[in-house]
Amino acid sequence: MKVPIMETSASDTKKPIQIEIFPKRMIKPDTVEGLLNKLCSLEGIQRAFIQGPRLPTKVPFGPAVGTPVHHPSRTNVHFGKTEMGLEVLVGRITLELAGKEIMEEINAICEDTLPCGYDIREGRFIQTRQTVSDYAKRGPTADPALYGLYDPKSKVESQVNLLRTNEKE
Amino acid sequence: MTYEAQFYPGATSVAENRRKHMSGKVEKLREISDDDLTIILGHRVPGTDYPSTHPPLAEMGEPECSIREMVEPTDGAKAGDRIRYVQFVDSMYNAPSTPYFRSYNTAINFRGVDPGTLSGRQVVEARERDMEELAKFQLETEMTCPALACLRGASVHGHSLRLQEDGVMFDMLERVRLENGTIIVQKDQVGRPIDKKVDLGKPMSDEEAAKRTTIYRVDNVPYREDKEVLEWVHRVFEQRTMYGYKPAVQE
Repeated sequence: MKVPIMETSASDTKKPIQIEIFPKRMIKPDTVEGLLNKLCSLEGIQRAFIQGPRLPTKVPFGPAVGTPVHHPSRTNVHFGKTEMGLEVLVGRITLELAGKEIMEEINAICEDTLPCGYDIREGRFIQTRQTVSDYAKRGPTADPALYGLYDPKSKVESQVNLLRTNEKE
Repeated sequence: MTYEAQFYPGATSVAENRRKHMSGKVEKLREISDDDLTIILGHRVPGTDYPSTHPPLAEMGEPECSIREMVEPTDGAKAGDRIRYVQFVDSMYNAPSTPYFRSYNTAINFRGVDPGTLSGRQVVEARERDMEELAKFQLETEMTCPALACLRGASVHGHSLRLQEDGVMFDMLERVRLENGTIIVQKDQVGRPIDKKVDLGKPMSDEEAAKRTTIYRVDNVPYREDKEVLEWVHRVFEQRTMYGYKPAVQE
């Protein structure tokens, strides 16, 4: 039986670099839409993560449990032709880049778009190898672009948006 | 000799604000009507009587007791009100008060109250009308900025998160929102929508919040800048450790 080869070496320097955009304040859906649309237009971004506190649809506990919340930040945003339901108030954006060449452009976009200050730092923020949960969920032949995107509580379709704008054009 | 209570050491603006909060000598900044307060607390319908759990003390025929004679009951206790709560959450980003200073303010300046302090929230239990009195005091004075503090009976998280883009403390239930430059309350403490929107007034500017805060921060007034506070904190720690709070034992 042929066993698929997984990346195991920590000294592999060909791994894509990851950066985190960390705004000083949590940003509104409009700002997120503007920022990500500009970032989408750049070549060389392989994956993007947005994170922040979750916005529930109903009051989760307490005397008013079950009452609808209707948070205005829980809305739909558009990236090119892709529509995505925003379920969090965005507090950080993680990007995986093919190379460092576009760092300056990303910096310029953030400066233009974000109304508050921000930090950009480089590090490891998204899985680059399959986790055990990933492996159990998708098996050995999973798409490497989906590594680390495993959420046991949800289906892939509801959490992952694939932007294939270039292919459509 | 008249003794004047000294509440907190230090010469910085933060230390001064801490003294003000503890002593209760704070500036009144806004007006909130009784009905508005009752609506956002959500314990009873505005305009109704206070429900009671026992008859008024005067009708109960209390047993003879020297302590009972010495201590005047609070208005709520006299009337037999039920016990209700108010819970405040303060942001870590230069909110005027903090859970500890709300508790100090409550315990020093009000009677018949039971303050509970947690890392991000502060809850006070008291007879209903006594609780309303202190809630109104803390909401109307410089102890509260409507954008950086909030009444939250349930789901208090948000105090340690970054502020929203508009400068309001994050709340997943969106009890308050910024509308035309003022903070509007649209849900009660626990997240039930209310019929009438309550206006809490303008939020403090960043500069004003930094001036009125009781929080030491490296980007405002750092703790280590307040030499007198450091000295006293060290003294308390040393005496507690070495002499078990018995300074008389110290040579």
